[in-house]
Amino acid sequence: MPSRRALLAGLVATALPRPSWAEVGAPRWLACAQEPDRGHALFGLREDGTDAFRLPLPARGHAGAAHPRRAEAVVFARRPGRFALVIDCRDGRRLHHLAPPEGMQFNGHGAFDAAGDLLVTVEQRADDSEGFLGLWDARYRRLGQVPTAGLGPHEVLRLPGDVFAVANGGIATDPEDRTKLNLPEMAPSLAYLQDGVLRETVTLPADLHQASIRHLACQGGTLAMALQWEGPADRLVPLLALHRRGEPPRLASAPAPEQALMQGYAGSVAISGDEVAITSPRGGRMHRFAPDGAFLGATLRADICGLAPCPGGFLTTDGLGGVLRIRDGVAQPLALAPRAWDNHLVTL
Amino acid sequence: MRLVLACCLWASPALADTDALLDRLILPGVAGFAQAAQALDDAAADACQPATLSPSWNTTFDAWLEIAHLRIGPQEQAALTIAFWPDERGSGRRSLARMIAEQDPMGVHPDEIAGISAAARGIFALETLLFDPAFNRYDSDSYTCSLVATLAGDLARQARDLATDWTTFAEALRHPGAAGNAQFLSSAEVQRALFTQLHGGIEFIADQRLGRPLGDGRGRPLRAESWRSGRSLRNVTLSVQAVGRMAEALADAPVPRLQAAVATALYFSGSIADPGFQDVDTPQGHLRLESLQGRVRAINTVLTEEIGEAMGLAPGFNSLDGD
Repeated sequence: MPSRRALLAGLVATALPRPSWAEVGAPRWLACAQEPDRGHALFGLREDGTDAFRLPLPARGHAGAAHPRRAEAVVFARRPGRFALVIDCRDGRRLHHLAPPEGMQFNGHGAFDAAGDLLVTVEQRADDSEGFLGLWDARYRRLGQVPTAGLGPHEVLRLPGDVFAVANGGIATDPEDRTKLNLPEMAPSLAYLQDGVLRETVTLPADLHQASIRHLACQGGTLAMALQWEGPADRLVPLLALHRRGEPPRLASAPAPEQALMQGYAGSVAISGDEVAITSPRGGRMHRFAPDGAFLGATLRADICGLAPCPGGFLTTDGLGGVLRIRDGVAQPLALAPRAWDNHLVTL
Repeated sequence: MRLVLACCLWASPALADTDALLDRLILPGVAGFAQAAQALDDAAADACQPATLSPSWNTTFDAWLEIAHLRIGPQEQAALTIAFWPDERGSGRRSLARMIAEQDPMGVHPDEIAGISAAARGIFALETLLFDPAFNRYDSDSYTCSLVATLAGDLARQARDLATDWTTFAEALRHPGAAGNAQFLSSAEVQRALFTQLHGGIEFIADQRLGRPLGDGRGRPLRAESWRSGRSLRNVTLSVQAVGRMAEALADAPVPRLQAAVATALYFSGSIADPGFQDVDTPQGHLRLESLQGRVRAINTVLTEEIGEAMGLAPGFNSLDGD
């Protein structure tokens, strides 16, 4: 039974005050996790690594997007993404249950526009993996969809000016069992969209066409892409690409033996100050780079994946429950919680 | 199996004996490898001929197998330049051939040898030069002779550095959660890391050392590890024994099922006719190697059930689930 206030809020979407992030413990990040009883929950994390809130989830989720002002989070179901939940972060109430149109699947990520009046969800058409951004209004009603000009899109990131950057992973997958279907011919790309129109696409050099572009981070005019290698396991390739609009991408890699230990897999990317970092849960390490792509160093931590900027460095989460602050490559544990953190941190 | 393990993720773990594993096996193991590599280096300084050097090369390889399954701490990187295998595209052999043809000065300069490609260094590069007929007929005043001596010196230095670095890293394992140690925050994390090494070691034996020559239904003799030196089987048995010993030390409790699984695998290894697995392209040879592979895999099942679950361990949450 919706409260009178919720009803009114539904009618006048943004005019009425709704709970802000300050009212739910002022978290700085959102993250999903699996708990010891194998249940799942959504957490708000404060800057010091402590929990701002804990909200139970019905299944394993991906903390996909946070409303810029209201304490509302969009949590995506794991693949194949048949639904997403809009969660009221005061009490965990499910405000909306979003389902993609028939024949479409959510791909685990989404983003709001700066005003919070538009939600975009990354989707692929089940039968051919063609990528789309689903568009939802302030009351989470479907507005339509726009193509992302690539297959198997993964993360979407809002840039200044409500430009949306989309990582087209390039991988076509079987709609049921998610078998990868096109690895020899895959062609990932980065797409910039504005007002639903494709403004620029970026591809990596031809010999890296099997490097799936999956996760994104942005600061100033620099966009960072985290890559996952689908080619021959014994080939060492960069796992980070940096891009500025109108320029060709720049690749960044650690020296050979250290690069090999990333296992061809970068799971998250973030930019903080003048450092860019990627994490590899498979390699149990975070790599840091200078803006020009120079390798700065590795920080070791098992099953590390969640990654976000924080003052002076990076915040990381891992499958062992650790919340670490990493400054100049030196890790300081902020918390060790009895839970396995999911792949990503969403910065508020 | 993954789900079974996940449910015990934070069960209170049985005590595991990190100190016993370090003091009885790992640290003596890396010291023993450094000693063997030094002896090889000393021998190579006197005489570089394959007939003279192969005994100390074999001893060095034996010593490496005591610790070869550890891919943690300093050994994570060092393993790549000490024992580069599998070499999918034969890049080590190709690099060595090029260096010899060009008389590349890097190959005979002790200060520059570390700059050559990983595949052309370490135990397997020396195997090529000592055992591959395309390489091993060289004179004592030849470039190859100097290359062998330089690579032996490089290996000895790497082994020495590894031993030094392990004594530092051992402290990180002994003191989880200490100031400056964010790699390991609890003893459970240390146990998990060590257990993972043992599990990964058995997996490597089954999937690589045995799996590669077994191929996809059809035997591939030339993909066996160390077939030219005829020690493919020896690598398997020594490595199985080494992992078994470390598992016993880590468990800090009787592990009869694990001991039985190791003994069974070793018993099956007795049926292998060719120590270099060169008969794996015959039906009989293939069948026997496949049976051995099954017995090696069975060790991991027991390892997980008897030791891993008792410690409350689970595989990685993110590393197993791509996104």
